[in-house]
Amino acid sequence: MVQKKYLLITILSATLLGVSCKKDLEIINPNSPTPASATSEAGIIGLAQGGVYVNGFRDLKYGDGVFGLFWSGAIGFHDLLGDEIGAEAANSFLNQIGCPDKVVLDNNTTVLNPNAPNTFKAFLRQVNQNSYQGQNFIYYEWGYMYNMISACNSVLETLDKVTFAGNAAAKKATIQAWCYYWKGFAYARIGSIYYAGLINNTSFATNGNYVAKEKIIDESNAQLDKATAALTTAAGSAADYTTVMTAIIPPFNQVGLGAVPTTDQWKKAINTLKARNILVNTTVANMTAAQWTSILSLVNSGIGNGDNVFTGRSNATGDFLSPQSGVVSAKIQSSAAGGGTYKLSERWVQEFNTADKRYVQNIKQTTQWIGNTDRGNVFNTRFTLYNGGNGVSGAKVFANTSPGAYELYLAGSYEENELMKAEAKIYSGDINGGLQSIDNVRTYQGAGLAPLAGSGLSLAQAKEELRKERRIALAFIGLSFYDARRWGLLDNPRTNCVVVDNGGTLNTKATITYGYLDYWDVPDNELAYNPAASGSAPTKNPK
Amino acid sequence: MRKKTLMGFCAMLLLSISVFAQTSPVTGKVTDEKGAAIGGASVLEKGTKNGTSTSSDGIFTLSVKKGSSLVISSLGYDSKEVKALDGISVSLATDVKALSEVVVTGLGVATSKKKVAFAVESVTSDKLPAGLTADAGQALVGKIAGAQISSTNGSPGAPVNILLRGINSLRAGTMPMILLDGIQVAATDFNTLDLNGIERIEVVQGAAAASVYGAQGANGVIQLFSKKGKQGRTNIDFSTSIATNELLNVGKVHKAYYHSLQTDANNNVLGASGSILAFDNALSSYTDNVVWNSLDPTNNNNKAYNKNLSYYDHYKMFFQNTNMYNNSLSISGAKDKIDFSILASDNRQKSVFKGNGDYSRSNLISNIGVELFKGLKFRSLTQLAYTKNTLLDPTGRTYFYALNNSRPFANYDYKSPDGNYGAYFGDAVGVNGYNPNYQSQYGAVTDKKIDIIQNFNLNYRVNKFVELDAKYGLNYQTDEIINNISAQDNNLNADYWQYWLEYYYPRTSYGAPSAATETGEINTTDYKTTFQNFLGTANVRFDFEKDFHLKVPIKSTTLFAYDYRKKDYSSYATYGVDAPSYTPYTTVNMATYYVASDYKESFLTFGYLVNQKFEWGDIGGVTAGFRSDYSSAFGRGQKPQTFPMANGYLRISSLPFWKGSITNTISEFKIRSSYGEAGIQPGAFDRQPTLGTKNLGGSSAFVFRTSNPNQDLNVEISKELEIGTDLSFNALKGQWLKTIDLHLTYWKRSSDNVIYAVDAAPSTGTGTILNNAFGLSSNGIQASLGLNVLSSKKWNWNFTANFSKQTSKITSVTGPPVVITSSAGSSSYILQAGEKVGQLYGYRMLHSVNQTDENGNLYIDKANQSQYATASNGWVVYNSSTSGNYKQPYVTPNTYSFGDPNPKFNITFLNDLTFSNFLVISAQVDWVKGSHLYNQTKEWMYRDGISGDYDNPITINSTTGAWSAFYRGVYAQVSRNGTKDYFYEDASFVRLRNISAALDFAKIFKIKQFQKLQLVLSGRNLVTLTKYTGMDPEISSGTANSAFDRGVDHNTVPNLKSYQVGLNIGL
Repeated sequence: MVQKKYLLITILSATLLGVSCKKDLEIINPNSPTPASATSEAGIIGLAQGGVYVNGFRDLKYGDGVFGLFWSGAIGFHDLLGDEIGAEAANSFLNQIGCPDKVVLDNNTTVLNPNAPNTFKAFLRQVNQNSYQGQNFIYYEWGYMYNMISACNSVLETLDKVTFAGNAAAKKATIQAWCYYWKGFAYARIGSIYYAGLINNTSFATNGNYVAKEKIIDESNAQLDKATAALTTAAGSAADYTTVMTAIIPPFNQVGLGAVPTTDQWKKAINTLKARNILVNTTVANMTAAQWTSILSLVNSGIGNGDNVFTGRSNATGDFLSPQSGVVSAKIQSSAAGGGTYKLSERWVQEFNTADKRYVQNIKQTTQWIGNTDRGNVFNTRFTLYNGGNGVSGAKVFANTSPGAYELYLAGSYEENELMKAEAKIYSGDINGGLQSIDNVRTYQGAGLAPLAGSGLSLAQAKEELRKERRIALAFIGLSFYDARRWGLLDNPRTNCVVVDNGGTLNTKATITYGYLDYWDVPDNELAYNPAASGSAPTKNPK
Repeated sequence: MRKKTLMGFCAMLLLSISVFAQTSPVTGKVTDEKGAAIGGASVLEKGTKNGTSTSSDGIFTLSVKKGSSLVISSLGYDSKEVKALDGISVSLATDVKALSEVVVTGLGVATSKKKVAFAVESVTSDKLPAGLTADAGQALVGKIAGAQISSTNGSPGAPVNILLRGINSLRAGTMPMILLDGIQVAATDFNTLDLNGIERIEVVQGAAAASVYGAQGANGVIQLFSKKGKQGRTNIDFSTSIATNELLNVGKVHKAYYHSLQTDANNNVLGASGSILAFDNALSSYTDNVVWNSLDPTNNNNKAYNKNLSYYDHYKMFFQNTNMYNNSLSISGAKDKIDFSILASDNRQKSVFKGNGDYSRSNLISNIGVELFKGLKFRSLTQLAYTKNTLLDPTGRTYFYALNNSRPFANYDYKSPDGNYGAYFGDAVGVNGYNPNYQSQYGAVTDKKIDIIQNFNLNYRVNKFVELDAKYGLNYQTDEIINNISAQDNNLNADYWQYWLEYYYPRTSYGAPSAATETGEINTTDYKTTFQNFLGTANVRFDFEKDFHLKVPIKSTTLFAYDYRKKDYSSYATYGVDAPSYTPYTTVNMATYYVASDYKESFLTFGYLVNQKFEWGDIGGVTAGFRSDYSSAFGRGQKPQTFPMANGYLRISSLPFWKGSITNTISEFKIRSSYGEAGIQPGAFDRQPTLGTKNLGGSSAFVFRTSNPNQDLNVEISKELEIGTDLSFNALKGQWLKTIDLHLTYWKRSSDNVIYAVDAAPSTGTGTILNNAFGLSSNGIQASLGLNVLSSKKWNWNFTANFSKQTSKITSVTGPPVVITSSAGSSSYILQAGEKVGQLYGYRMLHSVNQTDENGNLYIDKANQSQYATASNGWVVYNSSTSGNYKQPYVTPNTYSFGDPNPKFNITFLNDLTFSNFLVISAQVDWVKGSHLYNQTKEWMYRDGISGDYDNPITINSTTGAWSAFYRGVYAQVSRNGTKDYFYEDASFVRLRNISAALDFAKIFKIKQFQKLQLVLSGRNLVTLTKYTGMDPEISSGTANSAFDRGVDHNTVPNLKSYQVGLNIGL
C-alpha cells in the first residue's frame, strides 16, 4: 500500500516538473504571416497590392458603414460639397456636410442653414476636434492617403531585401513605379483638399513640419516624375513588367479599361494626373496663360481614347469595392427617390441638356421625397439613378450594383483628360477645339447630342457647356468639389437652381449660397498626436 | 478555540504513542445537526494529549481511561464535551458565531475566517434565491458586500455585470476569475454553471487577497464549491418551479399618442407627393414619405391617428409574457470511504420578445470522493452542460432598436397577400425602423453549446507536517451556431427596398444590401475552447510548541505551489449562399460556399508560489510570500513577473486584557491588514506583430494592420492595500438582537501598465498601438452588518445589510486623452488623467440664460441673452419668433464632462424570517444611489417624433403646445443624436429584488416519508422606485463587464418581473 502511495506521489511530481518548460512559452501566432513574409517576390507584390488597395482605400481605425470606405465615404464627402448628392443620415455629420449656408427660394423666402452652428465654416471648425474621432469627416481622406503613403514607403524600403527572378531591375522598377505613382496620387489628394500637409517619405514615422498645400502638390508631381523614370527602367523588360503588374492589380479590376496598362499608357496617366494637379488647385479666375499652356501640354500626352488606366471594380465578395455600397453612385440608386443613403441632387439633374441619352439612361423620376426639415432644403429630390441603366444602348450608366459591372476610374480617365483639354483650349482662345473635345467625351459616353464643334458658340456658352459636361461626365468620382471651388461657387451665389423645398414646392429660380471652406484645415486627429513643429506652415485655413 | 486547534494538531501526533495507562477502547460517531457524518473531527481525551480524528464516515475509536471525558471539535462547529462511552453518537452544532466559517479562496489552504487577514465574502446555498434563474451570477446580485453586481440585460442567458473592487483594466473588463473547487473555469461561462450544484460561494475581491493567483488575480476571484454527498442516509431531492416573466417598464415608456405630421383639412396624413399617405398592400410599405415640419415653431404634436393612419402599441404587439421552467433532481450520500452527489437539472425559458426564440440549459453533475488509503483522498467532479438557444437576436437590442424607431402607425402584424411580412415599411415609418416579424419569418438560429468540466483532485497527508495536493482540471466548450436564412427573393417588400435578412453574406457596409436578391443562406460557426489548469501544492505545518518543544505558541504554515494554465481557442465559420429552388437543402447544395473565419489562439502561463505564515496562538498571524509568473503573452524575453504579498491580523479580543464584561459585550474584535499585487494578462498574441491578409479576387494581399501589437507589452499590475476589522457584539440578553456582526474593510489600489490601444498620428500610417498606457487608482469601502434580530423557540429572524462604495479614476495616460465611443451608440467616453473611468462627455442644455460653466464663464453672452428664455419645462430655448431656431433648446457648442456615472453607493438589505422550522420568508431589497444612465434609447426616439414626450405641452413665450420644435431640437441642435445632458438621467433605484415564502408541509404535518415537502412562492423585481424615465434603471448597453462602457441605455432589453411557484421535495 505504501508503495502505491509513493508511486502516486512520484507520478504527481513528475507531472509537476514536466510541464514547466520555458520554451513552451514561445507560442507563435498561427493565424497571420509576419512582416518577414513580405521579403519574397510574391510577398512584396502582395504588400504592394494590399498597401494600395486595402491600406490606401479601405482600412482605417475609424469607419462607418453608412457613408462607407474611401470611394463612397471620403469621395462621398466631396460629392456632397459638389452638390451632386445630399444625405439625411447624421453619421459623421453627413447631412451637414452638404448643407449650404443660405437658400433663397423662388418666392424670395430665405432659408438659412438650420444647423447650429449655421455656417459650414463654423461647423467644420466645431467638429474638427480629435475628441470627435471618426465623427470628424475631414479625418478620412487624410487617414486613407497617409496610410497609402506609409504603406508605399514601406514597400520601397523592403524592396532591397527582395530577390527577384528574371529581370530583377525591371521588376523592381515596376514596383517602384507603382509606389511612386500612388504616393503621387495620395499627395495630390492631400494637397488638393487640405490647407497644409506633411511630406513623409519614411514608413511608419512622421514629422511635425507641416508644409503649405502647394508644396504637397509639388511633392505629388515629384513622386509622379519618379514613377515616370522608374517606368522607363521597367520598360526594359515588358514581359517582367507585365508579370508584376498582372499580379499587383487584382484580377477583378483587370477588366475593360482596367487591364494592365503599358508603360507608355501609364506615363500618359501620370500626365493627366499632373494636369489635374494644376487645374483643380487654381481658380479659373486666377489661372495664368502659362498654366493653361502647361495643362495643354500635359493633356496632349495624357490618357487617350481606349488607353488602359487604373480602375476599380466590385466583386461578389466585395474584396475591394462592395457592389452595393463601394462607390457613390451605388449608394444613390434606389427604387424611389430618396431611397438610397445618398439622395440625387436636383442641381445635378438640371445640368443635362434635353435629349441627352445619358439622362434617359440614368435619371429616374419618382414620387418626390422630402426628408427631415432640419437638414436643409437642398436634399429633397424627385430623382434617383436607375440601377444598371434604363436600356439605352451605348449611353453611359452611372450606377450598376451587379458585381463587377461598374468601372470606377481611380486616377484619371480619357474623359477627364479630354475635358481638361477642352477647358485649356477654350480658355486659351481655341473655342472650337475645346468644343470638339467636349463632343469627343459626349460621343464616348453615348450622349447622342448634336455636336458643338462648329456650332459657333460664344465663349460664355462654350464655358457653360464645358461646366455642364464636366458635371455630368465626371460625376460621382470626387472631382465635383474641386470644380465648384475653382469656378468660384463656394462664396458666390449660384442662381437658377432647382430646389424642392421642405413644403414640397418645386423652385426653379432658387439662389444657393454654399459658403463652403475651399481647403480644409489639417485634421485635429493628426495635430493632437503630431503637433506642428516651429516653422511649420499654418495648419488652419485663414478663411 | 485556540485549544481546539492545538488539539487537532496533536491528535495525529498522538496516534502513534503507545498507551500505557489502563484503558479501554471507545468507538463512536460524530455527525452534524442533520445527522451527516463529520469527517476529520478531532476527538481528544480531556486533560491529556490522547486523541484521534474521525474517518470520513464520522467514526472514531480511541482508548481512554475509564470515566474520562472526550472533547470533540471540528472547524466550523461548536466543540462539545461528552462522557467517553462506547457506542456514543455525538452531534455537533454549527458554530453560528462570527467568523466561524472556513474559507479557502486566496489562501491555498482551508482556514477559519478568524485567522484570515483580508475580507472573504461567502454565501451558502441556502442564502441564494431558490431556483428562479438557476444562474449563479444572478443569484449573487446584492449578496456580496463591496461588490457591484448588476443585471444589465433582461434577455435569456444574458450575463450579469460584475465589478468587485474598482476598475483595474480597461481592455480586459471587470470579470473576476472563476474557480470551481479550486480549479479555474475559463472555457465555460459563469452563467452556465448550475446553481443547484453549488454548496457555497466565496469571493475575494482584490489583489491583496488574490495575490496567490498572480498574473490572473487582479479582478478578484469567485470560487464555487460543489455539493458533496454526506454520510448518513442517501438523500433524494427534487425541485421544480415555474415562473412567469414580463418585461419591466418602470418609466412607463410609450410612443407618442399624437403626431405633428403634415395633414389635409380632414386630418389625413399627407405624403411628400401631396396625396394622402397610403399603404401599398402589395409592397407592404408606404412608398411615399411623410412631411414633418418638425422645427416649424407652430408645429404642435396634437394630431390624433384617427384618419388614414392608426396607432398601434408596438410594445403590446411584441412583448409577451413567457414562462420559465426549472427542474432539478439530485441523489447524494456517502458510505464508508466513498461519497457521491449526482445532480441533473434543467432550465428553460422563452424570450419575452415575440418570435425571438427560446433558451434552455441542462446540467449533469457528479461529485465523487474516495479515500483510497489513509490520508489519501481522490475526488472527481464532472459537470456537463448543454445550452441551447434559438435566439435570433441574443441581446435583443437590434429588435428593440428597430421597434423603438418605428413610428406607431406601422402595423407590423400585416401580412402581404402572399403571406409574407414586410421588412421595411418605408421612410414614412422611420428610416431606422424595421419589422422584427420579418426576421422571425425568414431567420432561424440554433446555438448549441456543450460544456465539459472535469476536475480531479488528489490529496495526501504524508504525515502531520506535510500535505500534498494535486488538482487538474480540464474545461472544454464547443459552441456551434447555425444561422439559417430562407430565400427572400420572392418577398416584394424586400426586393423593393433591397432590404434582406442576412448574416455573413458579403457586404462592406451595414444597411447596404449584399446582392440583388437574397436566395437563402446557411452559416455555421464553431467555437472551441479548451482550458487546462494544473495546481500542485505542498503545505508544511509546524507547531513550535508541540513539534519542537519550544515554549512559544507559534505555528508555521508554508505553502509551495506550482500552477499551470493553458488555453486553446479556435473559431471556424463558413457560409453558404444562394440556396437551390428545392427544399430541404443543406450547405452542400448552396451555389457558393465560403470560409469566413479560421482562427486559432493558444495561451500558456505558469507560476510558482511560496507563502509563509506564522501564527501566535489564537491572537494573531502574519503571512508573507510571492508568486512568480511566466506567460506566453508577456513582452519579449518572457521575463517572469513577481507579485509580492504580505498580511497580518490581530484578534484584540483574544488578548489577556479582553475579558469579563468586555468579552460579554464585544465577543470578537479583530483588526487586519493585507497588501498584495496581482495582474491581468495581455491578450494571447498582443505582443506579436503580423501582417494582415486579404483575398483580393484570388490574389493574396498583405496588409499593414490598423491596430498593432506591441512586442514589449507587459502584464497589467494591480497593487492593493486593505485594512479591516471584524466585530461581534452580544447586544441584548433576551430573544431580540442577540448578536450583531460587523465587517468593515477599506481598500485602496492602483493599477499600472494598464493596456490600451493608443492612437498614433494618422500620418504614420498606423491606427493604434497597444501600450501599457494607463495608470488607474481606486478605493472603496465594503461593509456588512448582520443582525440576529429575533431568536426564539418559534421565530428566527436574521437581517443583513451589505454595503459597497467604490470609485475608480485615471491617474495617468501616455499621450493625449483617449476617446472611446460607447459600443452602445454615439455617446463618447473620454479617458483622461484625473477623471473617473466611464465619464461621459457631451453638450449641455441650460436651465437659465445666465448659467455659467465651471470656470464662471457665461454660456450665453450678456448681449445675446435676450434671444433666449426658460421654457415652462425648465430648459432654455430660443425665444424670439424671428429666430430660425424659435422654440428649439439652446445647446452649448462645446462638450463637457457629465461627471461620475458610477453609483455613490450600493446597499442591499436581506431579511430571513423562519417560523418553527417550516416557514421561511425572505426578502431582498437593493438600493443603488447616485448612478446615472444616458438614455440613448429615448434620444433615438426623439429623432422621428416617436417618444411619448412629444405629447407633453410646454409653454414658450406665453404660447402653450406640444411644440415639436423643442423636442426635435433637443435631438438635432448642434449635433444630431449628439450626447446631451438632457438625456443623462439619475438612475438611482430601490428594487425589491426578491421576496419569497417557503412552506414545508413535511414539517407541518410531520410526514415521515419526506424530509422536505416545500412549496415556495416567490417574486423577482416586483417593485422598483426610481426617477429614471426609461424602462429599467439597472440596465447597461455596453459589453458585459466592460470597464468603462457602463452608463448607457441604448435599446437594451429591460429586466424581467417574475412570479414563481416552486416545489421542493426531499426524500
